[in-house]
Formats: sequence, C-alpha cells, structure tokens
Amino acid sequence: MKNNKDILKWFENELGEEEFSELKQSENFETLEKIAHYAKHMKAPEVNPQDALMAFKKRNLNKKSPKVIDFNFKTIIKVAAILVVMLTSSYFLFFNNDLSFETEIAQTETLTLPDGSEVILNAASNLHYNKKEWASHRFLELEGEAFFKVQKGEKFTVNTSSGTVQVLGTQFNVKRRVNYFEVQCYEGLVAVTYDKKTVKLPPGKSFRVVNNTIQLVDDFEAEKPSWMQNESSFNKVPLREVVSELQRQYNINVKLENVEEDLLFKGAFTHENLEIALKSITIPLDLNYKIEGKHVVLYRK
Amino acid sequence: MESNENKLCEETYFNTFYLKHVQSASNFAYYKCGDSDAALDFVQDAFSKIWENCSKINFTKAKSYLFTTINNLFLNTIKHAKVVMEYAKAAPYIDKTNESPEYILQEEEFKKKLQNAIALLTDAQREVFLLNRIEGKKYREIAELLEVSQKAVEKRMSSALKVLRDHIENI
Repeated sequence: MKNNKDILKWFENELGEEEFSELKQSENFETLEKIAHYAKHMKAPEVNPQDALMAFKKRNLNKKSPKVIDFNFKTIIKVAAILVVMLTSSYFLFFNNDLSFETEIAQTETLTLPDGSEVILNAASNLHYNKKEWASHRFLELEGEAFFKVQKGEKFTVNTSSGTVQVLGTQFNVKRRVNYFEVQCYEGLVAVTYDKKTVKLPPGKSFRVVNNTIQLVDDFEAEKPSWMQNESSFNKVPLREVVSELQRQYNINVKLENVEEDLLFKGAFTHENLEIALKSITIPLDLNYKIEGKHVVLYRK
Repeated sequence: MESNENKLCEETYFNTFYLKHVQSASNFAYYKCGDSDAALDFVQDAFSKIWENCSKINFTKAKSYLFTTINNLFLNTIKHAKVVMEYAKAAPYIDKTNESPEYILQEEEFKKKLQNAIALLTDAQREVFLLNRIEGKKYREIAELLEVSQKAVEKRMSSALKVLRDHIENI
C-alpha cells in the first residue's frame, strides 16, 4: 500500500530522493518507469488555435443577455386596466348588497331577513332590500303581495308605490297590485301611510285602497293570510281584483263577458284546483264559466 | 469581481481565453473520444455555450465550465472510437545512448503495448492518467478541472496504473 502511494507521488514528481531509490528496488519497476516515460511522449492531435478561433467566429452566435422587460407606459396601462376590471367586478360580486327576490306566477317563497324577520312572498311579487344598510334601518321595497313576521326591534318599513307600512314588531300582510293596496294586521300595531295620511291598524283590521279610494273593510279573525294555506280569500273585493288574483295563481287568461267588474265578491278560492276555484267564484255571484285551454270566460246566463 | 464577471462578453477577452485553452480543451476531449474531429466539435460547442451565456458565467469559473461542458457533451454522445494515442515524433527512448537494434525493437514493442493498454482504460481512468502524463498536471489541478475530489483523482490514477501494468506484463 505504501508502495502505491509512493508511485502516485512519483507520477506527480513529488517523491523525494530517498523514497525514489526505495521505489526503484520494488519489482516490476521497470515497466512502471517505461509507462511513465513513454506516456509522457504521447500527444493528442494538435489544433491550430487561430484557425479554430476563425472557424468558431463563423458560427455567428448570439449572446444571451438577461431578459429586460421595459417598464413602459403601455404596460402600466395594461396593468391598470386589468386592475380596474378586477376591482369593479369584485365590487359587484362581493360588495353589492342590494338583494332582490322575485316570484313567478303560482309560486310562493319564504325569505329570512338579516334580523331574523320572515317574509313570505305570494305569487308574481318582487321584493328588494340592501343587506348592508339593513342593520341601521330596516327598509324594503315591495311590489305585489307578502306576509311579514317582523322581529322586535327598530322601525321596520315596507315601501310600496302606493303607500308605506311601518311597524315595530308584528305580523302583517301587504298587498299592492294594480289599483289595489291592502294591509292587514295580524299581530301588534301597524302604521300605514297613504296619501300623506297615517292610519294605525290593530290586529284584525285591514286597510284597503281600491281605485285610489279608501274603503272600509270588515274585521277578520284569521291568524294568517289565507294565501299561505293555498287559498285566496276576499272580503267585498271587486271582481276585477279577484280575477287578477286568479290569473296570478293559475297562470291563465280570464275574460269577463257581460259581467260588471266592480261586482263585490266575498269568499275564497283554492290554489290547487281550477275547476273548484272557478265554482267558488261563480256560484255565489250566479255566473257561469267555460275553460278553453289557458283561456277562461266568465259570463252571465 | 463585478467587472471580471462580464469580461467574458468582451470579444478581445474571450478571444484570449479561447486561444489559451483551445489546445488543452481539445486534448481533453480527445482523451475521451479518441476522434480528433469530434474532439474539436465538442470544444467548439463548449466555447459556443460559454459565449452565449457569457453574462451568466463567473470568469474565474470559466475554465472549469469549459471542461465540464465538454464532459457533458461527450456523455451525451452514445458511441466513441477507441482512443489510440500517438507518440510525438521526437520521442526519445529511456536509454538515449543505447542504439542497439535489439533495444530499439524492444522499446518499440513496449510503446505499442502501452498504446493498446491505454485504449483499454475507462474514460475516467484515461483522462486522469493522460492529463497527468501529457499535460503534467497535479492531481489537485485535475480534480479542480473535473470538479471531483482529489481522492477520486488519485483512485482513478492508481486503478489506471494497475490496468496498464497488468496488461503490459501479461503479454
């Protein structure tokens, strides 16, 4: 082993005189000496450096410089445009607190407002409010008919195009249709503002405006609006409004032939069967009906 | 240091670097592949890489980058020729005074054997052995050039010598 180390040293020309003479004595040193000597006189093919360089220059190489992206005005505009689009879209996605709910014909929907109040929307109605402002003031807008179960708290306002209803915590029904506005109080006290006048409604009382005239309505005893039990009930309501409610619940087209539309109707009709509903309207009024697909005609005998 | 780093991108500096190392680089490539044309191709390709990436290469590492690149390019080729080293024309015999035909014949025969034996070495053994013998490089220098440890270089050298001796003596 020591021999091996010395040999390596000798090949590096680092071996001392003494050790060399020792190495010389080892067997087969002659071969080693010859290897060392003759290998030294080998050579690889010579290269003419100048020629090689000339050949190299013909390669026509391009230096790869580190990529530099100019910070120019165009890029800023691009980035800004993207930011604007992202910000506005995220605003509409996450910060738009205007909530809208709409029901189709023959459909009802139950909603829970941020304060826990419940709203049940009747058919073909539309309600919207701002979620963010709800905490500071309870305000919503309604087109159509809805029943409200309001949690106790600050003033609760329902705005319709006919009038405004304000309460503190009650149950009430608001119906606002074409030429028809009705508020019914089921619990607590409801303040109805119509035409700059405010009327306070205790439970069991109704406030109704038909064709811009306030009408006196008999008291009722129900705990909930009948439409919530799939029935529409009317207390001396013009036939015109009864028919349009029928259209909203069944998605049909009703025509009156030879019948006065101001005829007052007292009664109810179901939302579940058109034939029965038509009978409960026509029999008390002594009318007849015929059904032709989506069209229904009410006529006097 | 900063200024040195980009020196490679200056044409005059690069040319000097090229002229200084082209021969040893092509020797190195030849020890590996045994084909002078292929060797020069490797060298030119390696220099191309250096020129193209001049801004990224530290100039103090340029030489070892050159050899490493040649090594990698070589490893990428699948086949290579048997490496038969030629002797310089004026290679003297050990005993310069002995001119007897017998001695000359004997020495010529040895030279042939040595050539054959070198061709039998592995690429790693051969490059170390020849860098030491022909270029007269120390093991430490070879280790730096190949980016391996000095121990590894010494091991390759020992094993190379063992192969050579065994082969020559057994014939």
